[in-house]
Amino acid sequence: MADGGCWRPPRPCEAYRAEWELCRSAGHFLHHYYVHGERPACEQWRRDLASCREWEERRSAEAQRSLCESERARVQAARKHALVWAPRQSPPADWHLPLPQEKDE
Amino acid sequence: MAGAGDARGPGPAAGEPPPQQRGACQVFPERPAQGKPPQEGFLSGFFTNDQKCPLMLLKTLETNPYVKLLLDAMKHSGCAVNKDRHFSCEDCNGNVSGGFDASTSQIVLCQNNISNQAHMSRVVTHELIHAFDHCRAHVNWFTNVRHLACSEVRAANLSGDCSLVNEIFRLHFGLKQHHQTCVRDRAILSILAVRNISKEVAQKAVDEVFESCFNDHEPFGRIPHNKTYARYAHRDFQNRDRYYSNI
Repeated sequence: MADGGCWRPPRPCEAYRAEWELCRSAGHFLHHYYVHGERPACEQWRRDLASCREWEERRSAEAQRSLCESERARVQAARKHALVWAPRQSPPADWHLPLPQEKDE
Repeated sequence: MAGAGDARGPGPAAGEPPPQQRGACQVFPERPAQGKPPQEGFLSGFFTNDQKCPLMLLKTLETNPYVKLLLDAMKHSGCAVNKDRHFSCEDCNGNVSGGFDASTSQIVLCQNNISNQAHMSRVVTHELIHAFDHCRAHVNWFTNVRHLACSEVRAANLSGDCSLVNEIFRLHFGLKQHHQTCVRDRAILSILAVRNISKEVAQKAVDEVFESCFNDHEPFGRIPHNKTYARYAHRDFQNRDRYYSNI
């Protein structure tokens, strides 16, 4: 987390509002139930929106802490499953090479 | 490599399953081992249906939010996509819609089996997910069926293949958690379309990798249920520098 005067919310407050609205929509309820078999949880987006607005208005340290904690939890949740394959350090060497028959021409 | 005819070269690493529930291992009859350029006929038949494939592809690449995010992500990973180098419209055997050929780093689009613009967008999304995996990880397409299974799970999960609407059109009716059933089934079909293995072996591979690969949503960060989700995901991808420097 960046310190002091350089810090700003990880997402614009408008993005938190949009995610909260999408989460609460009937369409998202249907999609989420179709995938996970349960209703979605949207409260965290509402809390993050409130924290973002509080930081925008009052530069609240508590709001900053709350947002960072929330987003780190999202990142952790996305990374918790072990990978099936080894990540590359560089792209495949032949990605940009001409096709074999083009090379022969 | 198992499943491909010797005269045809290595063949596709990963493919879209046919609409009917049967696979075909040798799906690209004109994919040459040598000599014949795969893009022969790309511009021929200007007034025939074959011209639809390149035009639909161009529209997808320029307008579809799923594809635009994937193209950005691949460029960021060092695999910038060139339409003429990395895509090929071809006629294919069976009912397969497309495939990713890892041996040539090329996406094959089966122009005789892609029926409309929406279908083209979904096939391109599906195959770009394979290409993205090829770009960011050491995927042993031809020797490790678990790696292939993982990429097929991700492609079925993230491309819209298993949307509620698409499943209803296939007359597969289910709601609660049906998406996961669809992803498993379509991943197995895709594996069987490109590998000469038994359904049991394919199923076992999908079961072993499902937990990890179903929850790997890169580069979307979420399951994009429709274009709105894909646009939000693209917005987040473009914002990633700000995001990771402020958490």
